[in-house]
Amino acid sequence: MKTPSPAPTAPILQIQNFKKSFGEKEVHKNVSFSLYPGECLGLIGGSGSGKSVILRSLIGLEKPDDGKIVFNNQDITQFSEAELLNVRKKVAYVFQGGALFDSLSVYENLAYPLREHTKCDEAEISQKIKSLLAEFGLQGNEHVMPAELSGGMQKRVGLARAIIMNPEVVLYDEPTAGLDPYNTLRIQEMILDLKKKGVTSILVTHDMPTATAVCDRMALLVKGRIVFEGKLSEIKNDEQDPVFRFVNGKEVSK
Amino acid sequence: MQPLMTSLGHIFYELCFFVGSFSELLYKSIKEASRKPFYFGLFIDQMYSIGIKSAPLVVVCAMSTGMVMTIQFGFGLEKYGGKPYAPTMMALSMVRELGPVFTSLMMAGRVGAGIASEIGSMKVTQQIDAIRALGTSPIKKIVIPRLLALIISMPLLTVLANTMGILSGLAVATFELGLDPTNAFQKILFSITLKDYAVGIAKTFFFAGFIGVTACHYGLNVNEGTRGVGIATTKSVVASCILIVVSDFVLTKLFWIIEKL
Repeated sequence: MKTPSPAPTAPILQIQNFKKSFGEKEVHKNVSFSLYPGECLGLIGGSGSGKSVILRSLIGLEKPDDGKIVFNNQDITQFSEAELLNVRKKVAYVFQGGALFDSLSVYENLAYPLREHTKCDEAEISQKIKSLLAEFGLQGNEHVMPAELSGGMQKRVGLARAIIMNPEVVLYDEPTAGLDPYNTLRIQEMILDLKKKGVTSILVTHDMPTATAVCDRMALLVKGRIVFEGKLSEIKNDEQDPVFRFVNGKEVSK
Repeated sequence: MQPLMTSLGHIFYELCFFVGSFSELLYKSIKEASRKPFYFGLFIDQMYSIGIKSAPLVVVCAMSTGMVMTIQFGFGLEKYGGKPYAPTMMALSMVRELGPVFTSLMMAGRVGAGIASEIGSMKVTQQIDAIRALGTSPIKKIVIPRLLALIISMPLLTVLANTMGILSGLAVATFELGLDPTNAFQKILFSITLKDYAVGIAKTFFFAGFIGVTACHYGLNVNEGTRGVGIATTKSVVASCILIVVSDFVLTKLFWIIEKL
């Protein structure tokens, strides 16, 4: 495994010796990596390698069997559900399918975190939602129900809902999966815009053009271990490089 | 022999899992209900969809039960000269047993299935995860409003069921059995005590808890996609019905003991 590139600051989020099994199947044998402030880390790996499980564990939706998850110098692994609520206000999760509340309109979905965690009055909430929808190219869809939106629009609303509270970290779970090139590009632009604003993020994806377009560093998960963690420039153009092999559809040994 | 043992082992495992999860969910719900925030709007929504929308079904079921019971008691007791007591017996059965139990079984079917499938669908589409990821609690947002709405609406629906059952039974006693309605009504008033009524209503609080927690438990534990939603819904109705009929015996016995004290 390559040594991670030296970073100027302390990591905002760290995974240390993460282990997780589902029944007899040991999905994560020993996963460790760090996320530094302001960067976008691409977490790539084959289907079923457990990338989403790691992402879910970072906000306590899953509990590791062993290992630590350190956020802002606090080990959140043993946090209770009540303690995790505060972490989840700072770390946003963008679900693969949007996970919009289907009984609520787009407006109500976006207003949900603001009503729960802020003291904004209805005029402020409305103003914030309108400007965010305009930024995401969704103006005029306030009162539309999620089922009436296209897949790409649902993902954009999901992304808007996740970032409406200005989180410190955003976790993207395959945000471009199943999208056409136009919508893929729009999602990429949105992630880049957020990055410019200083948002730290982890991008789980199979979409290599998106990963190379938005990520500063990559981590490759193979057979329950991180086999590569480093900058895009560190990926070598030869048959022995694990990322090169993964991108070119060849088997990656640990 | 081995498949039988495997099946029994599986049933025992499921039973232990259910008891454990049921208790944990009940404990968490009580614990979280005592903490802020309380979503009053969600509770009112559930009162409407669980309580008010169930009223027509409960009324039809209670009226049918009251009428059938009056006819059965009337014709059955006729040969012993006990026909005039048919409305009283019907009313007593209605208030102590049939009203609470039939209302609860109807609610287990209508509301329990609805809750389990709704929560199950939310689980499958990651909406439950989204509630958690957005820094809120699914127990506060989903479980507590439904559970409270059930606990409050069930006794009210049972009172409605008892009233409609007795009135429809009286109508049958008048038109089918040829009894004097004023006389029959007076007999009912003199025969049924507040204790009879209280015992029937007290049971409904337990039944409401069983239906609500069971449905939420199965909904929150869906893990096989849309197929799992169907399985959870069926299991929720079956488990609630079993809990209602089994606990009815235990509660009846318990209340008899308390009454004797």
